[in-house]
Amino acid sequence: MTEYPSMESLVRGLIDSGAAPAGVPAWIHQLLAMLIFGGIVVFGFVLPIAGITTWVERRVMGRIQSRIGPNRVGPLGFLQWLADGVKNMLKEDIVPSAADGPLFRAAPYVVMTGFVGSFAAIPFGGSLIIADVNVGILYVTAVTALVVVGILMAGWASNNKWSLLGGIRSAAQIVSYEIPAGLSIFPIVMLAGTLSMQGIIRAQGAAPWAWYLFDNPFTFVAFFVLFVSALAEGNRTPFDLPEAESELVAGFATEYSGMRNLLFFMAEWGNLYVIGAIATTLFLGGWQIPWALDDHPVLRNALQFGVFFTKSYAFVVLAIWLRWTLPRIRVDQMMEMCWKYLVPIALVNFLGTATWMVLFPDGVAPVRWLLLLVAVVAIAAFVRRVAFHIRYARLERRHLSFNPLATARSPG
Amino acid sequence: MTIAMGFGIYLRNIKDALATIADGMAVTASHMIRKPVTLEYPDRLPDGVRVQDTLPFRYRGILEVDLEICTACLACERACPIDCIVIEAEKDKAAGGLVMTRFDIDMGKCMYCGLCSEPCPTGSIHHTPEFEGADYSLESLVRRFVKAPTLAYKPKKSGEDDPVIKPILDRGMRYLAEFADPDAK
Amino acid sequence: MGLTGFEVEVQRETEDGGFVTEDMTLSMGPQHPSTHGVLRFVVRADGEVMKEAIPDIGYLHRSIEKIAEKVGWHGFIPYTDRVDYVAAMFCNHGWTMAAEKLGGIEIPKRAEYCRVIADELCRIHSHLLSVGTMAMDIGAFTPFTHAIREREYLNDLFEELCGARLTFHYMRIGGVGWDLPPGWTDKVIHFLDRFEPIVDEYDRLISFNKIYVERLVNVAVISEEEAIDYNLVGPNLRGSGVSYDVRRDDPYSIYPELEFDVPIGRGEVGTLGDCFDRYIVRMREMRESCRIIRQCLRQLPDGPVIARVPRAFKPPAGDCYVRLESARGDMGWYVVSDGTAFPYRCKIRTGSFAAISMTQHVSRDLMLADLIAVIASFDLVAPEIDR
Repeated sequence: MTEYPSMESLVRGLIDSGAAPAGVPAWIHQLLAMLIFGGIVVFGFVLPIAGITTWVERRVMGRIQSRIGPNRVGPLGFLQWLADGVKNMLKEDIVPSAADGPLFRAAPYVVMTGFVGSFAAIPFGGSLIIADVNVGILYVTAVTALVVVGILMAGWASNNKWSLLGGIRSAAQIVSYEIPAGLSIFPIVMLAGTLSMQGIIRAQGAAPWAWYLFDNPFTFVAFFVLFVSALAEGNRTPFDLPEAESELVAGFATEYSGMRNLLFFMAEWGNLYVIGAIATTLFLGGWQIPWALDDHPVLRNALQFGVFFTKSYAFVVLAIWLRWTLPRIRVDQMMEMCWKYLVPIALVNFLGTATWMVLFPDGVAPVRWLLLLVAVVAIAAFVRRVAFHIRYARLERRHLSFNPLATARSPG
Repeated sequence: MTIAMGFGIYLRNIKDALATIADGMAVTASHMIRKPVTLEYPDRLPDGVRVQDTLPFRYRGILEVDLEICTACLACERACPIDCIVIEAEKDKAAGGLVMTRFDIDMGKCMYCGLCSEPCPTGSIHHTPEFEGADYSLESLVRRFVKAPTLAYKPKKSGEDDPVIKPILDRGMRYLAEFADPDAK
Repeated sequence: MGLTGFEVEVQRETEDGGFVTEDMTLSMGPQHPSTHGVLRFVVRADGEVMKEAIPDIGYLHRSIEKIAEKVGWHGFIPYTDRVDYVAAMFCNHGWTMAAEKLGGIEIPKRAEYCRVIADELCRIHSHLLSVGTMAMDIGAFTPFTHAIREREYLNDLFEELCGARLTFHYMRIGGVGWDLPPGWTDKVIHFLDRFEPIVDEYDRLISFNKIYVERLVNVAVISEEEAIDYNLVGPNLRGSGVSYDVRRDDPYSIYPELEFDVPIGRGEVGTLGDCFDRYIVRMREMRESCRIIRQCLRQLPDGPVIARVPRAFKPPAGDCYVRLESARGDMGWYVVSDGTAFPYRCKIRTGSFAAISMTQHVSRDLMLADLIAVIASFDLVAPEIDR
């Protein structure tokens, strides 16, 4: 297999081949180049994705609730997120007089750092990764945990008991759910033999039966454990107690207005993409495509980017779907679920995968096919249930009693 | 929360959670596919229909007074529980009857109850299907119906034959006919 | 924060290993997304666990009972809409029943049927809002929008019937204000045919969802004796297993001629008398109301819908107490007449007032999130509490 360089090695190669002017130390060139790449990724991908996810969420949420989402600003309301961004930037910046000034102002930036920092190691394609750190997945998990500090800062500095409650709940939640998330990553790392993100993807294949998801029953369950834990870490319903709207107004973000508020929520929506990226990398074969395409690097990278993006974004849509279906879990039930359900199951997965690897070093192909079949059957049963719901409760507009075309009367 | 939980209950909790969540997700998925029920008022209604034209005849919107058939009996002013109707009418021998100089309804106070339209003998004061009454000042909410001193209407025993007034009176009587009648069959 | 009378206690546990803790005093409301109306709770909490939640009412007091003495018998009916604007038909019905009892007026049969149809449609209307907001408070926003969508269809039905969508002013002393418009009964049956499967779908979406059930079972369990002692009524009382419904046990209007069941909580999921039981009683009551409306539409007689009542209505001096089963329970109207065209005194007894008085007792050792569930399960509406 051809060696696919990462951006970092590309830059180093350029410097080594003498493309940089002499007299300036090489590390400055490297730093500047990496900053430029980082900037491109952040401003060209991360922030737009966070914004566009709000648009997707509002449209999907609207349809789930039998209504249309935003549809006036731009085609299909696509520019609504830009309008909201501009509005937030123009809003009055309110800092409560009794709030802890420096902490209050710094908290959104800490949260954004935790969120944006993870993109340094997210693989978008074969060679589209800023830095293929050899402890990639560990780095991503560690950096995303930085948001806890930011949320605690926000909760405390707001000088508001409701914010404090929200911040503390969130800290407890995120820290607790790191455990099952981490434990679910271990089976994959063992199977792949490396912590590097690209290494894990390369150890899988393009076809569904080559993904780690279907490798053995333990990784199958580990996938669900990881997804649930990641949702909890991202403060998404059913785990959105920190921002429980009907209880705490907006939880830790109650006192924030304008741009600071927007930064919090961009971090939340962007985090959905990070969750999707991690799940795709670990379980769904990442950017693997069925063709090698060694002679067409641009096409190859584009296809890989497309595949990776589609798989990751499917998780974003799934998280949105879950948010608007499920109610909220209470604090003590959330802790119970983490420690009594997810952690034991994750430990069983860990031990089970280790045992499986000892017993069947190359995996068992029939088991892979069987798991794939189970997934396909489950999806088919789900689709059948959806069709049943559509048939059972009719909701077309012609069944409305308010039908302007039917009840229009002549004026007078 | 008791710690000792049977393994059967543990597994059943997991199974219940997955089953009910999957069913809930199926319901929301079915909604994603169905057409939304939103009617995009006011600028994207189907066929450019005005909502006001689709409202039922009994709809209690903004009050309107057809001064041509108002008899200045002041029944509406007396009936209003919130005193939002102010009428000034005086007997004028020269003009040949009651002359109204003022008929103001303060829509800011009106609670759209309809008590004024029930006792009206001709149906001159009635609710219209108009509901878009928002404006920028409280003053503009007061509807002043009398522009110049107007002679009150006198209902004719033999029925109205004036071609201008007859349709208005018919409409007013039709409005009154909607109300419950103690002598109905 | 204006906490005169509610001192913050500083508890100093001095036994070995004890923490020095301070109770946190939170003020939930009056502006809060999930207190149903303008209510305020002063919550003393030790972190997440509450010691007590003391309700503070009066933010929505509009002196409606005093206004009755100023506007007269007929003029007060629109004001009764505002006593409980979520279930306005019942308030109209209560006042007109009281006035008719005082004045000795017999109303025609068709008028009684119209009243019951309107009442039961309004019960569905109110319960939809109640279960919708309850789901929203627990965190599921979608069932709320579905409930509001169904309420929109009901609003259209009411609009055709009486011209308004919230403050109906449908009933008059002596009957009702308008007869059923032509074609309306078909629309009602069409709505009911559509509505019953949607209630089932609503159940599948949220009622038995494991997370929702876990939030509501075993929370604020109210035993039968407690419910009766604290004067709970309506679905709150029936959720605790007490089978009492004014429509069946102290019937008024044409309810003796109708066949319907009274759903009570049975504790099938969780403990008898918890929040879930009160919720499920409301869901079942919606189905029973559909049944009642169908019967009424089948048995509807012909005739006038209003008796002849003078515009200057002067009932003889005296007092009366009428009760009816509103969406929130037993609603009592005590009206005193002094023989003039203006009532002497009107006193309204509402179910939410008793329920909110129970909140303090029930909120001991609950979590903050449970307080929201309790308020929602009691179906409190602030206008009814404060009037």
